[in-house]
Amino acid sequence: MTTSPTLPTFQAKDFKSDLKPIWCPGCGDFGVVQAIYRALSAVGRPPHEIAFVSGIGCSSRIPGYTTAYGFNSVHGRALPIAQGIKLANPDLLVLVAGGDGDGFSIGGGHVPHAIRRNMDLTYIVMDNQIYGLTKGQLSPTSPKGLKTVTSEYGSLEEAVNPLLYVLAYGANFVAQGTPADMAGLADIIERAIRYPGFSFVNVQSPCVTFGEEEQQVKAHRANMKTLASVGHDATSRIAAMDLAQQYGRTLHTGVFYENPTPPTTMDGLVRERQQAQVGEAKPRARVLERFIQK
Amino acid sequence: MSDLVIGMAGSGGDGIVSAGESLISSAAYEGYYAMMTKSFGSQVRGGESSCRVRLSTERVLNPGGTLDVAVALNWEDFLRFGAELPVSGSTVVIYESKTGVAPDKIPLVGVAPLEVFAVPIGDMAKQAAGSDKAKNTVVLGLISGWFGIPRAGILRGLAKKFARKGEELVKANEKAFELGEAFAREHPLATPRTLDPPTAGQGSKMLTDGNDMCAAASVVAGCEFFGGYPITPSTEIMQFYTREIWKYGGAVIQAEDEIAGVGAALGASFAGTKSMTATSGPGMSLKTEILGLATIAEIPLVVVNVQRGGPSTGLPTKPEQSDLFQAAFSAHGDVLRPVLAPTSVGDTFAVTVAAFNIAEHFQTPVILLSDQEVAQRKEVVDLIDTSRFEIEERRRPNATELENYARFRLTEDGISPISHPGMKGGNYQGAGIEHNEQGNPTASGKIHEKMNEKRFKKLQPLKHRKDLFRVEGNPNAPLALVSWGSIAGVAEEAYGRARAEGLDVKLMVPWLVYPIAEEVFRDFFASVKSGLVVESSYQGQFYRLLRMFTDVPGCVRSFCRSGANPIQPREIVTALRAAAVDLQHNVHQVASQD
Amino acid sequence: MEKTRSVDFGALTLKDALDLATLVEEEAKDRYEELGDQMEIHHNPEAATFFRWMRRIESKHEDQLAMRRAELFGTAPRTVRREMIFDIEAPEYDEARAAMTVREALGAALRSEEKAFAFFDAAVSQVRDAAVRALFEELRADEAEHQRLVQAEIDKLPPDPLVRADDEGDEPVAQ
Ligand SMILES: Cc1ncc(C[n+]2csc(CCOP(=O)(O)OP(=O)(O)O)c2C)c(N)n1
Ligand code: SF4
Ligand SMILES: [Mg+2]
Repeated sequence: MTTSPTLPTFQAKDFKSDLKPIWCPGCGDFGVVQAIYRALSAVGRPPHEIAFVSGIGCSSRIPGYTTAYGFNSVHGRALPIAQGIKLANPDLLVLVAGGDGDGFSIGGGHVPHAIRRNMDLTYIVMDNQIYGLTKGQLSPTSPKGLKTVTSEYGSLEEAVNPLLYVLAYGANFVAQGTPADMAGLADIIERAIRYPGFSFVNVQSPCVTFGEEEQQVKAHRANMKTLASVGHDATSRIAAMDLAQQYGRTLHTGVFYENPTPPTTMDGLVRERQQAQVGEAKPRARVLERFIQK
Repeated sequence: MSDLVIGMAGSGGDGIVSAGESLISSAAYEGYYAMMTKSFGSQVRGGESSCRVRLSTERVLNPGGTLDVAVALNWEDFLRFGAELPVSGSTVVIYESKTGVAPDKIPLVGVAPLEVFAVPIGDMAKQAAGSDKAKNTVVLGLISGWFGIPRAGILRGLAKKFARKGEELVKANEKAFELGEAFAREHPLATPRTLDPPTAGQGSKMLTDGNDMCAAASVVAGCEFFGGYPITPSTEIMQFYTREIWKYGGAVIQAEDEIAGVGAALGASFAGTKSMTATSGPGMSLKTEILGLATIAEIPLVVVNVQRGGPSTGLPTKPEQSDLFQAAFSAHGDVLRPVLAPTSVGDTFAVTVAAFNIAEHFQTPVILLSDQEVAQRKEVVDLIDTSRFEIEERRRPNATELENYARFRLTEDGISPISHPGMKGGNYQGAGIEHNEQGNPTASGKIHEKMNEKRFKKLQPLKHRKDLFRVEGNPNAPLALVSWGSIAGVAEEAYGRARAEGLDVKLMVPWLVYPIAEEVFRDFFASVKSGLVVESSYQGQFYRLLRMFTDVPGCVRSFCRSGANPIQPREIVTALRAAAVDLQHNVHQVASQD
Repeated sequence: MEKTRSVDFGALTLKDALDLATLVEEEAKDRYEELGDQMEIHHNPEAATFFRWMRRIESKHEDQLAMRRAELFGTAPRTVRREMIFDIEAPEYDEARAAMTVREALGAALRSEEKAFAFFDAAVSQVRDAAVRALFEELRADEAEHQRLVQAEIDKLPPDPLVRADDEGDEPVAQ
């Protein structure tokens, strides 16, 4: 087979594993993993240089459907594990993914810290406003009043707004997509991966088994508004926060915020510090010398 | 005199602990062995504080029992530490005369100390330094003068300590020291006691505490990543990392909580870097879920638990050995997780290196079960020849193994070559879910059984590692003394005394406290008719573990007590004598049955 | 929504057009294969069989187009890539449901042919090269024919029963 030199080294299918997804047919996550394959092929890093970490949930099965090094860890803890990986080897491309419950309920406390450390990671949340894996319980992003098996008469709590949440904590790249627009989704994920620093993509990824009618792909297609079409200025955090308030009412897709002057990343700073100090490095045994009273 | 135990107490502002530090560092400089423990009130600053310093020409096993020298800068503070600073008929008591207490009225009920000195410590300090803040230096002069501790080392230490603050301060402290010395000269002891000169030369010793030793050992063992969250009494390990690890190309992260700390450490190890976390009981409880993940995903990880009194917040600054059950058993599912316990600052080095080697070799989390005593006491120990230690690396797949790579391949010894991101051909899915050899999820009972077997089988060789146990004494002795962790140093001293008394006793100190090495203990107990398992917890957790996995002879009893209640060598000797009496009784019974 | 990325229809050569058309069929083939697998995993053999039948048809179309391309342009390198197209003739993932009937599966296939028709129809109006236009017109006609065939299959089937597997089947299982 001949390949043109202009063609990228990796095709989308190079990132697809042989493992057959066991998601419910129709699940939004099928589209998300497709979009990830495309984005990764565009970015062009070989699969073995990618670490893909997730928590637990239907969505968290996603690393297993890629050929990257995957880590389907425990519920809510993907971000801390991913940060350890990144600091141990900053050369890796590190992806993190999981569900709305994984990221904004049990793991919610880790999100602000991942943001303030600003390591070069991409965090993709498949937000279906429900707990899929455990069969349809209320999630932190379920709209108030939603009836589920754990909110028999309607939920009494407001939903977490993932977009406002990460914008408020200072995330420098924030976007939202849906598998109802595959090209758009692949594009957003690619940009997020390329962004140097912590990037967040909220994917409205429908749960066909437990989700609401108005949260399905058909409804998305009918109602979504691209941020480009509303003339949004993605360099303004305030404008982004303003629009993000419509989360749960209007489905905006595209990049809400992209800091045009990306701040330093923690992994970058760690590397700098190592380089500055490694010069003094001695044989490890000499670490004990400090204890000798001379 | 080869051994001197000094106890001092005052309020935080008196700098009595700082005096202790000066003493022990000068001892280290001169070539003495020494040990220092500190104890504080629960105020963060300015509360009462005390320290014990034991100086010796021989290896020091424990902080010692009753004091040879007691220093009270005020009596209220001294008495708050009652049990930790025991005074007896052989103690020389030195106290601040400003307290207004007459030497025959000191508030030590029921003891008549050997000698009592009321000293105008504050006034002397003022005279020397213009402020009574130099009281602690006066105390150093008194002790040096009375007990023959070489002045050069102390003065050198003071000069170093105050150098940054200016020549004037150095001079003032020297003066304060000399005033103390002079007072001692002018008021000699009725029964003179002088510490023998050290048997080793200058520069032959190291001075540190267990936390720093653990951190340093981990660096020597090749660790390059630390993830953790501050908690007393473990935090110094993380602090060491923030100062040192960059030089070795490593990194450290102060995480948002203990879960994130161990998560980051696990991630780093997944990425191929040796890594660790350190915490204490409450943090350990939070880390439990990720420890299970490390077990099933077979990722090397060293987790230090510096035990303190529990449950819950418990006694945050006091030692206890009550997290052993947690270390061994806090897991859902069938988990076998090695637990190693250092017994002193000195052996913390070897035990830490062993923990890393075991973690890497067997691809498992290992718990290094330290305790507040080992972690925070200072010891003067011999230099360590690090070239004696072999440093193990996890088994990486070779080129052939990378073709058709299976991360969890069922091998003869249960250890499968482990790849890491960046390694071409080694791509796999790490996961908490049960997996087949390739790492793909499965719910098959058959595979689950096989994988459990693999994870248990691979660790079995550990139980035959004789180097993880210290056994001393007559192999056929009928009396046994078993102890672990920091309290083992007390047991060891008791063992020596009991042998000197003629008791036929042998000693077992395991560094590997879980899994229980059945054969090692079977051999050890073979000759044993009676004995004690000494530890510092209410339940006697190690004793119970032993009974769970081995046949402990019926007359071997648990000798235990909650933490923060120091056990003294003499109590153990007394109990051993009683056990020896039991023994005669038993032997007699056996004989009458014949 | 956009179906292609970085495809300039105005500049499309016949080689590119043939490659594009081949990829459209390949994408549909792969999707039917996935849907067949999904149905099998979810114990819906009838729908699985249908999707696999569709897979074979799309595979045949793919081969035919690839052959034409080979005859005309040999092994000249491809410049259009699979990553440039999005669900042109491939049924969308959202079309699938665990307990779907064959009739519903046929409905999904029909909508895919309609999508493909719409795609070529739009493309015809954009292309400038005459040979390319002729190709796209031909393909558009093919898609229309496929629609008729699928519709005929649907008409042969009895209406779906009132009671569906969704209603009768077991509840989803929590993991
Ligand atoms: C510590 C812990 N608590 C609870 C669970 C059970 N659990 C698994 S996934 C999940 C929620 C899944 O919801 P989400 O994160 O939104 O993912 P989805 O399945 O919707 O993709 C829960 C509660 C668990 N695995 N671990
Ligand atoms: S339960 Fe919902 S989220 Fe989970 S696989 Fe099914 S459709 Fe997707
Ligand atoms: Mg969810």
